[in-house]
Amino acid sequence: MTAVPLAPVRRWILRRQSAHRERGATAGNIYFTVLFIAIVGGMLHKQLAVVFWPTHPNASSLAAASLTPVLFGLLYLALRRFGPLALSRPAASWLLPAPVSRRRLLLPSLRLTAIVAAIIGALAGTAIVGHAAPRSLDGSAIALLASGAGLAGIALLLVALAAQAGGRWGDRLDAVVSLLLAAGLAGLVTDATTDHPVAAGGWPTAGTLVPLVGAVTLVVGLLFALAVRGLARTPNERILESAKTAGALFDSAFGMEPSFLTDMIERRYWAHRKLRSVRLPARLPILVGQDLLLVARRRRRLLWLALAAALPVLLEDAPHWLIAVAVLIGAMLAASTAGGNVKTDAGNPMLLRLLGLSSRDSVLQRMWVPGVLAAAWSALALGLLSALDELPPGPWWALGLALGPVGAVAAVRRARVGFVRNELLPLDTPMGTVSTGPLVNALIGPDALLLGLPALVNIVQNQELTWLSVLVQAAVGALGARAYLAGTTATDRVELHAQR
Amino acid sequence: MDVSLKVKAGSGVCVTGENGIGKSTLLRCVSSLQQPDDGEILVFGGTPGATPEFWRAVVTTVEPPTWYPGLTVREHAELVCRAHGQDPDEAGIDEALERFGLAGHGDAIPPSLSSGQKQRLTLAVAMLRPSSLLILDEPEQRLDPDGRAEVAALLAAYVADGGSLLMASHDDTFAEASGAELTTMESLSAVTP
Repeated sequence: MTAVPLAPVRRWILRRQSAHRERGATAGNIYFTVLFIAIVGGMLHKQLAVVFWPTHPNASSLAAASLTPVLFGLLYLALRRFGPLALSRPAASWLLPAPVSRRRLLLPSLRLTAIVAAIIGALAGTAIVGHAAPRSLDGSAIALLASGAGLAGIALLLVALAAQAGGRWGDRLDAVVSLLLAAGLAGLVTDATTDHPVAAGGWPTAGTLVPLVGAVTLVVGLLFALAVRGLARTPNERILESAKTAGALFDSAFGMEPSFLTDMIERRYWAHRKLRSVRLPARLPILVGQDLLLVARRRRRLLWLALAAALPVLLEDAPHWLIAVAVLIGAMLAASTAGGNVKTDAGNPMLLRLLGLSSRDSVLQRMWVPGVLAAAWSALALGLLSALDELPPGPWWALGLALGPVGAVAAVRRARVGFVRNELLPLDTPMGTVSTGPLVNALIGPDALLLGLPALVNIVQNQELTWLSVLVQAAVGALGARAYLAGTTATDRVELHAQR
Repeated sequence: MDVSLKVKAGSGVCVTGENGIGKSTLLRCVSSLQQPDDGEILVFGGTPGATPEFWRAVVTTVEPPTWYPGLTVREHAELVCRAHGQDPDEAGIDEALERFGLAGHGDAIPPSLSSGQKQRLTLAVAMLRPSSLLILDEPEQRLDPDGRAEVAALLAAYVADGGSLLMASHDDTFAEASGAELTTMESLSAVTP
């Protein structure tokens, strides 16, 4: 079959589309974007400097070596999650099955992704150099290091591209990259808890970097050309999957409805899992057993949570209220590992009707596993902070356990939130119009973390922790959970939301 | 449309009629999932409602089904049985899955099933748990001929055991085989005073 030239088709589509747009809309969009970047950049330039180029280098060589796998590992995993090769949904439906050159169809997507990967890689490289390299390093060496990091970004894209087209090794590589990421985070935590000298010398000069970066450019360029040649071999189903991801991403962004994306990721996760039916634990209340089964099937996420309990240590130099907020949010995230079932019931009560349980019973049962997860996570996080002497003496682990009900209420409230209410009145501010629907939606759930106020006050005060304080937090958490149950559920109603 | 209908306890009624005439709306109103504009509906002598007691007696398939994440077909069936205090071994889960042609799919997650299999699973779970009234909206839909005969026989047994059945269907043979008395939407509105 002869291929139809793609360029005229694309031009025709573009012309049709622009016929529906207002004149100058594209120019207006570009103007707005540039203005937005300039204003936000101007407002945040001090914070950006702290992130990318602090006045003095402040990272040890361990921190710099740990940051590298963290930043580049995140870039790789993000590339894998989103494709990296994707088409818009209309193109996937109409152009993918058409007799057009597959390579030309996919090339613009590859080009755009390569530019984004290179920019992110270069920014990551600049940040690492900015934190670790002595200020005596000359400008050309810095520029070469940043370009090398950009090339590394493109190289990661090429690996992700091969993994997209390839077989099971891609999943294994993902696991290896996740391990590297975890090792990097562990390195950062170790660095935060011990006193390492700020990295000093050992940075290559521009003279040694030129041939190195040149060789890398050549290799990456060659691989890129090979990738373009092999582009047509990317299997259709992979491109369709990425097109769905891209579509969900745009739906989420334009509809301001993050649940489109999170639900899709959740569905895809389970679709790829092979499960074996087990008996639900007979001694536990039925829904507690079901939650437990769900959590047991997400072991990898549990492992990440356990590792993440060390992350508040990274905030050792930050004000204490930030550590407290991090612990509270972490407790909510840990609890929400078991949130999928409540979310299903909140979206459609059909299964609750089939189960015939009252909303009071079902929400009460659904709070146990999140509560235990939140308690264990905060006990681990606060216990670790206390063991590393970041907190004054006292039974901090017990305060963590007392945060269990707080995390449970926040996670269950979050899971029950439902769609963003875009009919809420927008707010006019000097910076432009802010729609309140997504803001209100984002706050439902985290607002329940206010029940953790006693713990927050204890952490901020930075004084020895007494058992009385632990008791106060436990009482506030338990009363809060009870009030939440009494206020939002009923014994004579099955549905989680009262019928209007 | 004004409608008058009485289903005696321990009997079955099947409402037929063309698309859009209001069969599903009638079933939704009886299930308390929709408010009628006017009139009175009594189920077992009381107003249908959202109470756990109502939903322990009534099972309906008039809504599109939803499934729990990360729970297999068999575990969904077990969950529902256990919630009603049934022993999973005595409830006959495996027999039910076998009868509905789902025996080979016990370890699958429901979203991965075909639409016909999902319909069978909904019916299997609905019939596994104890109930006094089944409200089914076109239960024969998406079932192959053998499946239809199987489901009809099960419904007939349900009614013979003292259960009540209210359903809407386009398949008269299926409805008769399930032991339900056939009636049309037109005849229901004609008897209205």
